[in-house]
Order: sequence, then C-alpha cells, then structure tokens
Amino acid sequence: MAVDRERAGAGFGEVSRVKGVAFRYVSFGASIVGLVALATLLVYVFIDAFDLANTNPVWLLVYFLTLVVPFIGFCLYSAGDRALTRRTALVLGGGLVATAVAFEAIELLITPIPRLTWQLAYLFVVVAPVVSYVVFVGAQKPVGATGFGLLGRTLGGAVLGTAVAILFIVLDMRLWFLVFTLGVVPAGAARAYGRYRGSGRALGLSIPVGVLGAVAAVFLRDVLRTYPTPPFIFIWTFGAPIALAAGLFVLNRGGTRRSAAAVGGVSLAAAAVGTVTGSSALPEGSAVLVFAAAAAPLAIHLHGVLDAEKGRVGLVLPVILGGGVLLGAALVGAFGIPGPDPWLDPGYLTEAPSRTAVEAGLYPAIVGSVIIIALVAVLSFVLGVGAAVFLEEYTADTGVVGAIARIIQINIANLAAVPSVVYGLLGLGLFANLLGFGFGTAVTAALTLSLLILPITVISAQEAIRAVPDELRQGSYAMGATRWQTTKKVVLPEAMPGILTGTILALGRAIGETAPLIMIGAATTVFSAPSNVWSRFSAMPMQIYAWANFPQAEFRYGVVAAGVVTLLIVLLSMNTTAIIVRNKLERDS
Amino acid sequence: MSQNQQSGDEASAESESLITTDVQPAETNRRSRSATILETRDLSVYYGDDRALTDVSIEIPEHSVTALIGPSGCGKSTFLRCLNRMNDLIDACRVEGEVTLRGKNVYDEDVDPVALRRQIGQVFQKPNPFPKSIRDNVTYGLEVQGKSATDEDVERALKGAALWDEVKDQLGSSGLDLSGGQQQRLCIARAIAPDPEVILMDEPTSALDPVAASKIEDLIDDLAEEYTVVIVTHNMQQAARISDRTAVFLTGGELVEYDDTATIFEDPADDRVEDYITGKFG
Amino acid sequence: MSDGAGTPDLQRPSSLTRIKESGYGGVFVACAAVTLLTTIAIFATLLSDALFFFSEVPITEFLSGTEWSPNPRGGGLSFGIVPLVIGTLTVTITAAFVALPIGTLTAIYLSEYATPRVRSILKPMLEILAGVPTVVYGYFALVYITPALQATLFPEMRTFNALSASLMIGIMTIPMVSSISEDAMSAVPDSLRQAGYGLGATKYEVSTGIVVPASLSGIASSYILAISRAIGETMIVVVAMGAQANMPEVRSALFGIPYIHPAEVLFDSGMTITVSMVQIAGGDLVGGTLPYDAMFALGLTLFVITLIMNVLSDIIAERYREAY
Repeated sequence: MAVDRERAGAGFGEVSRVKGVAFRYVSFGASIVGLVALATLLVYVFIDAFDLANTNPVWLLVYFLTLVVPFIGFCLYSAGDRALTRRTALVLGGGLVATAVAFEAIELLITPIPRLTWQLAYLFVVVAPVVSYVVFVGAQKPVGATGFGLLGRTLGGAVLGTAVAILFIVLDMRLWFLVFTLGVVPAGAARAYGRYRGSGRALGLSIPVGVLGAVAAVFLRDVLRTYPTPPFIFIWTFGAPIALAAGLFVLNRGGTRRSAAAVGGVSLAAAAVGTVTGSSALPEGSAVLVFAAAAAPLAIHLHGVLDAEKGRVGLVLPVILGGGVLLGAALVGAFGIPGPDPWLDPGYLTEAPSRTAVEAGLYPAIVGSVIIIALVAVLSFVLGVGAAVFLEEYTADTGVVGAIARIIQINIANLAAVPSVVYGLLGLGLFANLLGFGFGTAVTAALTLSLLILPITVISAQEAIRAVPDELRQGSYAMGATRWQTTKKVVLPEAMPGILTGTILALGRAIGETAPLIMIGAATTVFSAPSNVWSRFSAMPMQIYAWANFPQAEFRYGVVAAGVVTLLIVLLSMNTTAIIVRNKLERDS
Repeated sequence: MSQNQQSGDEASAESESLITTDVQPAETNRRSRSATILETRDLSVYYGDDRALTDVSIEIPEHSVTALIGPSGCGKSTFLRCLNRMNDLIDACRVEGEVTLRGKNVYDEDVDPVALRRQIGQVFQKPNPFPKSIRDNVTYGLEVQGKSATDEDVERALKGAALWDEVKDQLGSSGLDLSGGQQQRLCIARAIAPDPEVILMDEPTSALDPVAASKIEDLIDDLAEEYTVVIVTHNMQQAARISDRTAVFLTGGELVEYDDTATIFEDPADDRVEDYITGKFG
Repeated sequence: MSDGAGTPDLQRPSSLTRIKESGYGGVFVACAAVTLLTTIAIFATLLSDALFFFSEVPITEFLSGTEWSPNPRGGGLSFGIVPLVIGTLTVTITAAFVALPIGTLTAIYLSEYATPRVRSILKPMLEILAGVPTVVYGYFALVYITPALQATLFPEMRTFNALSASLMIGIMTIPMVSSISEDAMSAVPDSLRQAGYGLGATKYEVSTGIVVPASLSGIASSYILAISRAIGETMIVVVAMGAQANMPEVRSALFGIPYIHPAEVLFDSGMTITVSMVQIAGGDLVGGTLPYDAMFALGLTLFVITLIMNVLSDIIAERYREAY
C-alpha cells in the first residue's frame, strides 16, 4: 500500500500504448488487405478489357475534360455543398500531383510497374473513388435523384426487356401469343372486373380461366397455322400490357387520367417505334419489347419529376453525358488522336466465339446464362419461398412437426456448406443420367443450380419472413383468417422486399458458378445460341474457363478479361438492383 | 376536420373522469340483465407445466362491457385469448374446461377456431393495422370470409369506429400513415366490419396518449349498443368508467370476484379485491 | 347485430375451402421436403456409383495408392488418392495461412476498434470478396498473380502452380473467417470488457486477452468452415494450378522426421480432389466406366470430409452460443 501511495503522489504514470497502436494499425491493414488486392486485380482486368494500357494519354485527357469533369460537376451541383465541392477539387488536383510524383518515384527507385501509367493510376486511384463518392452523395438530393433515376430506370428497363427478349430464342413465340391471348387476357379481365365490381366470384374465376386458356392454347398451337408477325405479337403481348400497367401505376399514385393516358401513350409509342427497328442478334421484333420496357419506367419517372417541381434540372444529365461523348469524339477526330481498341465492345457481346481473338464474342454464352438464370430464378424462388413459409409459418416448436422442422433446418445449414462440385455430381447422376434430361442442357443446369442456391434462398427468405412483426399475424388470425390467408395477404407482401433481395443475391451466386456446369457436361464453347432448353449450351463462366486455357496472349489478356468484366458488371448490377429494391420497397411500406 | 373541437370535448371528458374512481356511469346497470352470450366453466390454462389460469367460471351478458382487471401476469390476457382460441397459436398452451358462445362449447371437436374468430373480433394492445390502405384494412375481415365488401360496408365500419370523418377523403392511403389513436380506431373498424358478436380488447388504450385513449373509451361505450365488449385493462379508473361488469383476477390466474362494476368498486366482497383496488396490493 | 340468438354456426368451413387450405400447406411441405430430398439424392447418387467403384478398386488401394491416373492414353488405370490428398492439403494449408490470421485480425478490428460507420461500410465490402465468381479468381491467379510472383519473388515458379491458387482461395475465404468470428466476438458481453478496463487493461490487452479467449469456440468454428470451403474449392485450382497428380519426394531431415520441401509442392502444378473430378468430367461422361465411377468416389470423399467438418463446426459454435 505504501508503495502505491508513493506512486500516486508522483502522478498516475503512463502505460505504454505502442503495442496497442501498432496492433490497431495491423488489424486495420489486415481488414483491408483483401479488398486492396481485389481492387488491384480489378484495375488490371479493366485495363486489359478496354485496352487502356496502350491508350494515348491525350485521348484520356480529352474525355476526362469533356465527360468526367462535367459529370462530377453535375453531382456536385446536385449535392449543393460548398465544402464538398472544395474538397473534391482539392482531392482531384492534389491527387493528380501526388499520383504522378509517387508513381514516377516508384518506377525510378524501386521497380517499373507493368502496364500502368501514372495517368491510369490517377484515374483508378483518385478519380474513380471520387466519382463514386460524389455520385453517392449527389444521388440523394433531388437533382441527382432525378438524373440518375432517369438513367437507371431507362437502362434497367432496357436490360430487363432485352433479357426477356433473349428468352424467346428458346421459347415458342407463337405458343406464348396463344397463351397470352386465351389465358392471360381473360384472367386479367376477370380480375379487373372482380376488383371493379367487388365481385368475389369474378376474382375467384380468374385463375381457372387463365389455366383453361393456357391449356386451350397448347392444343390450338398444333392446329392453328397462321400467326401475326413477331413485331405484332410483341406489341400485343408486351407493348400494350406494359403501357397499360404504366398508366394504371400513374393513376394509383394519384395521377390524373390525362397524365396516366400520356404515360401509357408514350410507352405504347416507343413500342410502336420498335416495330420498324431491326434487332440483329435478338429474335425479330424484340426491339418492341426493349423499347417499351425502357420507355415505361422513363415515362413514369418523368411524370413524377414534372409533378414534383423539384430537381427538374436533373433531366439534363443525359444531355451532359451525351454531349460529353460527342464533344470528345469531335475533338479526338479533329486532332487525330488515336483511341484505344477495347476488347469489350458491342461486337464482343453480339458475336459467337471464334478461333481468332479479334472476332471472338460472348453472345451464345450470354444467351445461355440468361436462359439458365431465368429458369433458376423461377425454380429457386418458388422452392425457396415455399420451404421458408413452411419452416416459419406452418410448423410448431414441439411435437413431430417441430422435430421434422428442426431436422430440415439443420439439413439446410449443412447443404449450404456442400461444395458446388458435389452438386455437379448430383446433377450429372440424377438429372443428366437417371432422369435423362441430357448432358449439359439448360434444364439440367438450371435444376442443378437451383438446388445449389436453394439453401441460400431458403435462409434469406426465412429471415425476411421472421422480420414480419408478429402483431400483424395475430391481427390477421384474430380476424378469422386462415393460415394460408394470413400468409398470402399479410406475411408474404410484407416480407417480399427481403425475399426478393435474398433471391437476387443468390442468383448472383448461380450466375458465376462454373464447377457444377463442367460436371454436368456443359459445353465449354458453342458457336451458336441454343435453340431450345434441351440443347447443349454454354454460359459466361464456362466460356471464361475455356478461354483462360488458351495459350495465346490475346485471349489470356484480352478476350478473357472482356468476359470477366462482362460477368462482373452483370453481377454488380444484380447486387445493386437487389439493394435498391430493398431500400425502395422498405421505404414505401 | 373537426379535430380541434373534438379534442376539446375529450379534454373535458378526461378532466371529468379524473375526478374520482367511484363516479359511476349513470346507466351502469342498463344492460347487465340481458341474456348470457359467453360463458366459461372451470376454465384452466397451462403453458407447458405452468398453470396460467385456474378454474375460471364466468357469465358474460350480451350487449355489455365487461372489464377484466388485475395485476400483470394474473392471466387476464390469457383468459381473453381463450375466448377466441388465439391460444391455439401457441404451441405449449393447453386449455381445460369449457367456453360456450350462445351455448355452444367452442372447444368442441367440430368447432373450427377460424370460424369462431369470425364471430369474435379482437383489438390488440398495440395498434396493428396491416400495411395496406385504410379501405383494405377495413375490408380484410370480409375478404377472408370470401364476402365482397361494398363502399357502404367500409363507411359503416369506419363510422362505427368514429373514424369516418377523419379519413373519408384518404381511404386509399396507408393505414400506417394515421396517428396512433386513429390506427387503433382503424383496428376497431376492422374488427367490427365483419359484424361479429363479441369484441375482445386487450388493453386497447395502454399504448396511446390520454386524448386518444379517451376517444377510444367513448367509442367502447357506443360499441356496447350493438356488440358485446370484453376488455382487459390494468387501469382501474378506466374499468370503472366504461364497464358494466368487472372481473378481478389476482396472481396465479384465479378469478377472485366478478360482479357489477359498481359493486366491485364500492363494496367488494373479497378483502383482496379491496386491497387491490385501494392500491395496497398489485 | 346478429341478434338472432340460438347456437352459432362454428362448424368447419366447406370441404372446398378445407381442401384449398390443406393443399397450400401440402405445397409448402413439399418445398421443404425438396431440401431433405436433395441431401438424400446427393448421398444416393454418390454412393451408388462409388460402391460400384469400390467393388472394382479395393477401398484400401484407393486410400493408400500413391499414383493417380484415371484415364491414361493406353496405360494402366490406377486410383490412389494420396497425391490428390497431398495436393488438396497443400492448397488448404497455404490458403489457411492467408485467411485465418487476416480473417481473425479483421474480426478483432471490426468488433473492437472500428466505429459503427466504418463497420457498416467495411462489412458489406468484405462480403464482396466471397461473392466474386471463383473462375474469375482462378483467372486472376493465372494471369496476374503468377507472372507478378515470377517477376519478383519466385522466378523458379511454374505457370501452373499451387501458390497463386492458394493465395486467391485465402483471400476468398477471409470474409468467412471474419464474419463468424466477429459474431462470436460481438456476443462477448460488455461486462467482461468493463471488468478488464476496470483492472486497468489497455484496449489491446482487453481485445487479445479477454475478447479473443472468450470467443475462442466461435473463432475455431469459423476456421473449420473456411478450411472446409477451401477443400471444396474447385475453379480457382482448376484454372490456376493445372492438373498434374504429383507425388512429391519425401526427404528425411536431420532428426529423422520425414518432410516435404514446401517449394516443391507450392511452385509446381498439382492436383486436388476437385481438380481430378473436373478433369474426368471434362473427358468422356459415359456412365459405367471406371473413371466415371471414380469421380463419384472422389465426390463422396469430399462430401463426407466437408460434412464432418461442418457438423464439427456446428457443435463448436453451439458452445459459444450457449455460453452467452
């Protein structure tokens, strides 16, 4: 005690923190080392895919000034934050000097950095993070929300429309026409009538009517010989319904009849324009679908923007981007500055693989991936939600049912850890061989991948369902609703954002899987798009795997890099969509 | 909207009711002599091995307000949930004894709890409107019964819950956009829309501010004209204000006394009830 | 206002409604049953072909054989899993050297040091590491990592090698270690930390001396899961490691303990269990041949190993969930 008192008298002393501080930085470094490594690799694959290593710095400068700087300006204007503007300018300017100096110093003193110039390093290390940050900040303000909403909706609609159009490479368009006309339309009419008149009987009739119509369509398909032209089928089965849905959406949101009609009209007009536009790689008439799917969300968004009176300036964003590209092209052309020759160009996406690197394309693999993912989406969504509903809503904690539910739950957790290559063997042994669905067919692949991601979809759907407050269930049961009514009318609508997010994320996993596809005998390279779901097909990751084995440098560094970037962009947009869906639907409810 | 004027009324109602607990509603005994609609006989409830309710026998008259009071954990909510068999949703829950609705034992083999709940509505402690439009909330009960709901049904239910004037122009907007008190009245409208016989209320005002609570209390008085109301409350003044009959539960799930509200609050037969009401216990 | 007294109608609803109701219930049960059937189907599929394989090749020979050549052009078939196990172990151990320390440090940083804002950014970003398709990682390893290592540290490295593949697997499994370990560390009650601070410990001492030991079972469980994932990883090794079933030279060291020189297995190409499965599948997929069945035997081995590890990890994880 005496010693203690003495020490206290001399002050508390100090405990060394050196170890602690060092540990803190080491652990922080450890938590970002993986991300830094991945980011570096992504930079390189990006450079390779777009042939940026050999790009004239002046070319980069021109587009930096005409495209990137105005774009950053737009975001900053939207953010309307002076401090942010100052900081951005400082980082961009200071970063330029710092990167150049640091880069040259490393090259001079330590080691040359392969296939990277200080200009590229500046773009990736400074400009790219700055741009993503200002986009993030700007998009939350009205002006930015308007501009990015405009681009995002239009692009998203077009991509979705394209994906659906791709499905018609393997789907029978004429059968779809009959099913739509005889099944979907009458069912929809019965539903609308039931809603309008408050007639339960008409509502109840809609599903049987639809099923009957679909069955009739299947029979008629063999009998009927003459059909409308594909563009007309697309107008009738997609253009008109999309326009109708867009109009109704505006009405529901409190728009006037006139504006609803205008939104619907714009969508329909865009679809009509599609009839005269060719579509080289897609089925005939696909442009109708693509245009309608892009125009409808665009029109709805415009209607909302014009109504809101705030952030209308944001509508200039496409003009800024388009003008930037045109101006850049004009300058580059006028001064004869050579540009890069990217591997990832429109031709790459619309052409078949080839023995020569320059002509090689990813088109059949993209089609294969879209078809598989569409099938997987349907299968895993239905199975995943069904199993999750059983586990969350239909089981008890005790008794036989409870025991079964617990076994299923443990089983799902274990399935999630089974290596994907083992699922491939399951697909090979069960679907391809035993059930005879064929080696490497889209059906075999889709079934295999659905089972592979089933644990993920079930678990995420369970989480979403569990998050629905119990008071809502109690309220529903107390109203005399049955279990199914409670599930359908209260639980599932409330859980849907979470379920959708989880499913999209799981689909992201499915789209990149390669090992199971190899095991079930998917083709590494096919030269034409599959003609139906029973034909052998390839998928994006399969094609990347095949090309990575090619010895030529143009394939290794060019063609494959383009494929990798395509795959990653698809993944990134799926994940972004998932997050937007979740945030948006959660805010709405 | 006549919100201001109404809140003025409420304020006066509130100040009136705060005066004392033994001011009785003038018409306390107006309905207590009508026929019995709900009856329990030796009702016991177990959660696993724990007994939550012990041999409760009670007769609830038609078109009356019956209050269930008692300290927390005394089993009054459990009792309420037995009446519409909401306890069936809890796995470990076991019920013994009888609950009869107009002479029919609701725990008989051939009774469907879903059909039972269509006759007995329930309003919960926390307002729990569905995340749907106001209209869809009101029509929910009819919809699940496979009946079509007309605009008149919606208007009648909302008027019955004294909410019509406040929401008639925004039937399409979400029920969650309403204030807490309005949400609770929406839940009442939802409960009365399918025209049940009995409405169970589980501390319907405990999550609300005093103004909204007093509005609900006024409403309960009106509801008793057409329905039979059984209400759980831990607010004794509230029980005294609004109920015709009061049942006092004490810890252990035992029904200690059940009588006219006036008798319970002025001259209880059981000492424990007197202790509880005067605040010596619970 | 149904004043009409008399017994209320509380009968069960019409049979149509009841059929509908139980019909939907049946659909949900069926969906849940699919998950069970999947496990059964995996077992049945693997077992039926594997049993056939083991009737041709004795299981002892399979487990102890040191040569793997399932489909030689004109040579004899031999199915010894040892070289594959050595390849798998090489990759797994090397990947563990990357993922386990980095993952643990990440977990400590996230749970003890990071501000809520940093954590909310860093955690989802780390998940990206596990979300990149493995074929892309394999491509990175082959095309960027290997040349970079050859140019700088290890000029003697071959184009197809185990090291690059292992590094990528390590990076991929970091989030697996970090997220489960962090869950375990976050589950450590604050009172324990307060006790540590109360005794005058620094943050570093509390983190490493109290939090880590207290969450040891969670950390261990995450390690096992990550290793199990590394064992089953396919595309990275297929693309970057090549496909040569090598039997490394076993040397005798000073004290008579046999060892394998790391450079010999790391810088050279090799073959894991998963690679050999893909290699056979890449050839002919006609059922009934011995190589075809060997593939299922390997699959069964892999399935059993990962299943055991997963169950083990579950049991260990249960312990920390019980503790708090």
